[in-house]
Amino acid sequence: MREPTFLILTALAGGPRHGYGIIREVTTLSAQRVTLLPGTLYAALDRLHAQGLVAPDREETVDGRLRRYYRLTPDGIGALDAETARLRQLATAAESRLRALRPGTA
Amino acid sequence: MPTTGDRLARRYRRLLFCHPRAYRRARADEIVGVLLDAAPAGRTRPTPREAANLIRHGLRCRLGRPASRTVGVWATLTAVICGLFTAALATRAAWETSAPQPDRAETAAVFAAVLPGHELGDVDLAPALFTFYSQPLTVRALDNLLLGDGGEYQQSAVVAGAAGTPRMPADETLALAQRRLRETGWQVYAPTVHSVPGCADKTCTPVVTVTDTTLLARRGDTVLQLHVAAPPSPDGDDPSLTLSRTTPPAVLPAGVAGGLLGAALGWLVFGWASRRTEAAHPARAAVGVLLAITLALWWTPVLLAAPHLLRHHRAEPHPTWHPLWEWLGQPAASLLFVVGAASALLTLALAAAPRRSPLPTAAVG
Repeated sequence: MREPTFLILTALAGGPRHGYGIIREVTTLSAQRVTLLPGTLYAALDRLHAQGLVAPDREETVDGRLRRYYRLTPDGIGALDAETARLRQLATAAESRLRALRPGTA
Repeated sequence: MPTTGDRLARRYRRLLFCHPRAYRRARADEIVGVLLDAAPAGRTRPTPREAANLIRHGLRCRLGRPASRTVGVWATLTAVICGLFTAALATRAAWETSAPQPDRAETAAVFAAVLPGHELGDVDLAPALFTFYSQPLTVRALDNLLLGDGGEYQQSAVVAGAAGTPRMPADETLALAQRRLRETGWQVYAPTVHSVPGCADKTCTPVVTVTDTTLLARRGDTVLQLHVAAPPSPDGDDPSLTLSRTTPPAVLPAGVAGGLLGAALGWLVFGWASRRTEAAHPARAAVGVLLAITLALWWTPVLLAAPHLLRHHRAEPHPTWHPLWEWLGQPAASLLFVVGAASALLTLALAAAPRRSPLPTAAVG
């Protein structure tokens, strides 16, 4: 799973969000490192919807602008869970190697 | 009076032109809303990064199948080969802007200037710009062109041979011709030499090794090839020279324009067929197989001919490049092209068949 996909799923794990809400949440989650452009976001949402990982939730209009909310599906929660476990295992392995490399800093 | 936001919204909406119409109908309001939310106050135009991002993802969106990792590769292969074929067609049309082939007077003048001391013999004029077995291509010859002889469709040239026996040795003829070519404004290329078995007299006993030297030169839109054999051919016409035309200036822009147009059409048509067959389509599997067959039939000659022609270009001097269609293996492999075109048409016909149920075009069905 690519980082933007992981971040979008993580953003939706906090509850349904609309497009701009996802963009802002991804920026926050990545500590300003990743700023999704709308084209990239909607390509990812289309893909995740086709894979059954996200689903549209509801719509509202604010200041004349249509906002459509998206939520994680049970499969999406499972995929995020599996990817999180994979990343945690990798991070744990890397940390243990780094501790061995620099015992004084552990 | 439109506000800054209205203008920006209109510009963002225009940038969604690469997305399919049904997708725009379902999602444009939402996407433009997000773009406006993300835009800082006072912005009146989309940034180049935003524009490139929307166009790129719009083109991808045209292919449908958002979860597919390979549809982009298939679309690219289709668009590139369509672009190459339309570029080749456009260059062939642009070749018609070429100056007429050299006539007898021009050929005689060049012969006299380059080969002083030799008497002009037979002159074979070129009957057309490109010929098939030395004759203009006709509809009646199309079956031969399709069935294996397509490689005989070549650029024609005027051939002029010297009358009688050569009046000086081959190396002297070559040295004199090189000097005369330079004096009369020709750009002269390094000669190429081939040794082949040949005849020294009409009985051809014994067989001897003939050293055949070809000298190439270019002046303006004319290419000259001088052939000198040592020992000279017993059939006469030695030395001989051929004159042909260089690629006209209109060929390059025509090829680029034709290529871009063909690639764009290829992408759009592929996208249409891909979206139509992405789910609940009775011919989904058949369309995939036929597409693979089409691409194999169209790409195979290109992958075989292009490296071969590139080696040929690097091995010998070329005052002008071979026409684009020869790089695509055409019309030598025109039968494969025609069968591939039939397969492509069948693919589109099957894709046009009615779907089993309406297809959702957006994440929000």
